[in-house]
Amino acid sequence: MFIFEKRLEFPVVIKNRNPKLASYILSQYGGPDGELAASLRYLSQRFSQTDKRAVAVLTDIGTEELSHLEMIGSIVSQLTTGEGARSFDRYGVGDYFIDHANAVYPANASGVPFTAAYLQSKGDPIADLTEDLAAEQKARAVYDNILRMCDDPDVSGAIRFLREREVVHFQRFGELLDLLQAKIK
Amino acid sequence: MVGNITPQCARLMQQLAAADFFATDMKLYLDTHPDDTKALEIYREAVKQAKAAKHAFEASCYPLCAESAGEGCSWNWLNGLWM
Repeated sequence: MFIFEKRLEFPVVIKNRNPKLASYILSQYGGPDGELAASLRYLSQRFSQTDKRAVAVLTDIGTEELSHLEMIGSIVSQLTTGEGARSFDRYGVGDYFIDHANAVYPANASGVPFTAAYLQSKGDPIADLTEDLAAEQKARAVYDNILRMCDDPDVSGAIRFLREREVVHFQRFGELLDLLQAKIK
Repeated sequence: MVGNITPQCARLMQQLAAADFFATDMKLYLDTHPDDTKALEIYREAVKQAKAAKHAFEASCYPLCAESAGEGCSWNWLNGLWM
C-alpha cells in the first residue's frame, strides 16, 4: 500500500514564473519518457516477477518514480502560479492555457495527452528489464534537453537531481538483469 | 505551492530530505546486494537518522504524515506545504 508524506523527495522552491519552461518540463509528467510512464511501467511489471529481488527493485524504483512525478507536477505548478491568459500567450503557450489554464495535465511538451502505449509489461523479466534500461536512458536524455533550455538555478537544481536518479536506476536495473541472467545459466 | 514555511522549517526540511534520501538510495542498493552486511549497517544507521530528522521537523513545524496529525484542538493535517 502507499502512504502519503506531505513533502517532496527533493524540496522545490522556485521564485520566478516561466510558463514556457513549464510546458517543456510537463513532458516529464505525461510524456513518453516521463515519470508517470516510468512509475506505471515498473509498478505494473512487478506483478509478474518471480524473483524476489526483481519484485523489490521494481516496487522501490516504481515508488520513487511516483515521488518524481510529484516533483515535476510541483515544478510545473510553481512556474505558472498566478500567471494569467495573457502571460501564457506572451510565452507562446496560450494553447495550453485554453484547455488547462493553470492546471497540471498529463501531456507531453507539445500537448499530446498521456497514453499507456508509452510503456510495456511483457510477463518476461528479460524483456521487461531491457525496456526499463532503455527507459532510464531516454528519461536521462530528456532531462539533459531540459537543462539545455533552462537558465533558472531553482529549476535546474531539481532537474539535475532527477537526472542523477535516472543514472542510479539504470545501474540497479543493470545489476538486476545480470543477476537474473546468471540464474538462468 | 500553497503558502510558505519559515527559514527554520526550510532548514529542517532540507535535513530531512538529505537524511531520507540516503536511506532511499541504500535501500535500492540492498535490493541487488542483499548480502552486503556493511551496507546493511549503513542502511540501519541512515534510517535512524531519517526518523530523527522527521521527528525534529514534525515537532517544530507541521505533520508530514496523517498519523502524526490530530494533536491540539484543530485538524492540523491541513497545515504546511502540500507540494
